[in-house]
Amino acid sequence: MRNSGAVLILTFIAKLILQAAGVSPPGKPRLTSCRSPEKETFTCWWEPGGDGGLPTTYALYYHLENSETVYECPDYRTAGENSCYFNKNDTSLWVNYNITVVASNALGKNISDPVEVDVVYIVQPNTPENVTAVVVHDEQGPFVRVSWEKPRTADTRSGWITLIYQIRVKQEKDEKWEEYDAGMQKYYNVFSLHPDKECMVQVRCKPDHGFWSEWTQTTYVKMPNYIPRERSLWILITIFSIFIVLILTWTLNVKRNSMKLCLLPPVPGPKIKGFDKQLLKSGKTEEIFNTLVIQGFPPTTDYENLLVEYLEVYDNEEQELVLDGKELSEDFMKSKSSSDNDSGRGSCDSRTLLLEKCMDGREGSGSDQHQYSQHGETSWASTESSESQGAEPGSPESTDGRAKTWPVVFPQPHHHYPVGAVKPAYHNVPEILNQLSPHATPSNYHQLHHQDIPQQELRFSKSACRHSQSYNQFNLDSIDTPAPGVPPLPSLEYVEVQRVNPENMLLLRPLSDPNREPERSDCTGEDYSKVKVVTSHNILLLQRDTSHQCVDDYSQADQCTTQQPPHPCKPAVHQWNSVMPQEGMRVMGNGYVDSTVLMPSF
Amino acid sequence: LSLWAVAVLLVALLCLDPHSRVSSAPICTHGPSGCHVPSLADLFDRVIQHSARMHSLSNDLHSEFEQYFLPSKNSIGKIYRKCHTSSILTPNGKENAQKLAREELTEVILKLLMAWRDPLFQLHQSMAHQQDFNSFSSNKALEMGDMAHELRKGVEKVAEKMRVLGMLGNSVTGLSAAETMLPISDSGEAMSNYELLYCFRRDSNKVQNYLKILKCRIVPEHDC
Repeated sequence: MRNSGAVLILTFIAKLILQAAGVSPPGKPRLTSCRSPEKETFTCWWEPGGDGGLPTTYALYYHLENSETVYECPDYRTAGENSCYFNKNDTSLWVNYNITVVASNALGKNISDPVEVDVVYIVQPNTPENVTAVVVHDEQGPFVRVSWEKPRTADTRSGWITLIYQIRVKQEKDEKWEEYDAGMQKYYNVFSLHPDKECMVQVRCKPDHGFWSEWTQTTYVKMPNYIPRERSLWILITIFSIFIVLILTWTLNVKRNSMKLCLLPPVPGPKIKGFDKQLLKSGKTEEIFNTLVIQGFPPTTDYENLLVEYLEVYDNEEQELVLDGKELSEDFMKSKSSSDNDSGRGSCDSRTLLLEKCMDGREGSGSDQHQYSQHGETSWASTESSESQGAEPGSPESTDGRAKTWPVVFPQPHHHYPVGAVKPAYHNVPEILNQLSPHATPSNYHQLHHQDIPQQELRFSKSACRHSQSYNQFNLDSIDTPAPGVPPLPSLEYVEVQRVNPENMLLLRPLSDPNREPERSDCTGEDYSKVKVVTSHNILLLQRDTSHQCVDDYSQADQCTTQQPPHPCKPAVHQWNSVMPQEGMRVMGNGYVDSTVLMPSF
Repeated sequence: LSLWAVAVLLVALLCLDPHSRVSSAPICTHGPSGCHVPSLADLFDRVIQHSARMHSLSNDLHSEFEQYFLPSKNSIGKIYRKCHTSSILTPNGKENAQKLAREELTEVILKLLMAWRDPLFQLHQSMAHQQDFNSFSSNKALEMGDMAHELRKGVEKVAEKMRVLGMLGNSVTGLSAAETMLPISDSGEAMSNYELLYCFRRDSNKVQNYLKILKCRIVPEHDC
């Protein structure tokens, strides 16, 4: 009794002493990790929990899943302190290991928590080996080629394990590593490294299901000093400029019209002051004419200063003409003559030409109404003063509806142009009409409308040979005749245009020459030159002064008076530039020379 | 405009989904009939890619399960039932695997794949019916099952090709219907989804490994 009690007391005292000394059973160990480098072996490490002051031993025990057999760690040394190494024989894949570590010391033991391990999922290979980095010089610049080998232990050859690699690069004075994945290959080219700098390279690997290995030791490589050709910059600049050019082109294309306007401003078209194009299009001729007519032009201060214009009317024999009496018949006989009245006309419009052409047509025209009409732009219409009398509207016989023509068609046109004078500026009325009334009716009537007068039509028939298509119609006003009492002249009569009033009216008046030469026309004005004398050399001397006494000249003209175109006298007229046909030359009875033929042909 | 946005979104989702379906290309077995006949190496590459994909899917599913349904890893109460494929003898190490002949190895692969045909279908069914899983998981399970099926067909074709080429003896027998096993544990209960996933994860790893070994043994040109 005393012994057991003494033992107890001694044990208690011993414990107290031990506790005072700081020893205790070991702390609980802990398995930190288990790793397999090649999927064939594996190692487990633990950390002790505290030895309690006494030497502590650790033992690792394991058992496989679904088996109760407990095995102890076969190898505590290979892997170092506090480790357990399972060799190939002890390693089974696809099997769970239940591992525990037991720490024991003199005072007790302690067991760690169990850990389930399947070796397949704890693979962490060794680091790659033989990492080499070499500078390769390329035309685009040098780069570094890093190559390595697989870790020795990993058996990739048989396909047991598959490794993928990763490298990282850092240049000196850089803070961060650049990581690159290399896949399963064992080399890698590193570009975009700065020149003249040291470069550090590291490699690591990983199995397809597992952990990354540790990084290898740093491999150093020095980049050479080179000047990088900034090709990418140039390419960028080129692309940018092309882009700009494209945008500009597109903009220009879009704004093409406004650019054209800006660079090539449109030339303003001609504009006649007061002339309205719209009016022209609408075809109201009066208004158009009104705009054209200048007030007070031609200057009509005095009728003596008038530009004398004569309108000649030519009718052919086919046209029904209402003549004023038969007195004209003899005149019309004369019309057979191929006298020509080409004054003011173009050569193409030469009446003589017409007559020649129309000779055929005229054979049958035995009517006493030989009237030659000359048409065309240069046709002149003359009106007989008789018709112009106010009582009757323009026509000698104002028959109703019948063609009223001025029967003033003279085969011998009496053109009283001052020879040698400046060709007066004749208003080519038909021409004006042609231009001003572009909407010439198909009937080709040109109308010159006049006020106040009931429409009187002066029709000029076409020539038999239809030389011209145009008819000229003149609705003439009542012609102011200074001598209203002048009897109607049966014969050829000139009417001079007194003026053109604002309504485009031709105010005509007959030549107030009361001379009634049956065979000759009257002298029409003061601007005509009279033949003064015919010299011995058959030269006609013309007189330019305005002597109105035509009568006086009769005697002079009698020398070579002839009504026939060919006259034996053949006075040699002062030659103009053109050769005149003999038959074309006429000498008027009253001393006037028809200088039509003398005019140079146009 | 909204329709377009939706369409673009759908396309993006499909493309970005890392687990979008991958279907195997048809393997031509009828020689030069217009179809490009792949070589044995190509066939092996295809099946290995397939198996890698399959294993990746199983790994993801298992992780999801562990994360959401079994928060305590290594819990003491965790009881692992035996996988139904444990009766199939499979090499558990490199040497063992290398010791096996080609025919045996091929047969093991085929057995494993065959054994999982029905359980995977069941797994998908049970996952689809339970509301605990989102659609992604059940789709993964479905895809996994399809891939296992495709893989088996592919391996059969590989075996056929090998047989034609004379690499394989005739000892590879067809799998009889008796080989199909039901995943019934010892206690007679059906295995839970987690256990199925656990087992399949392991088995798909095995298949992948065996195929790699087989390939590097037969056609060791590259990647070996």
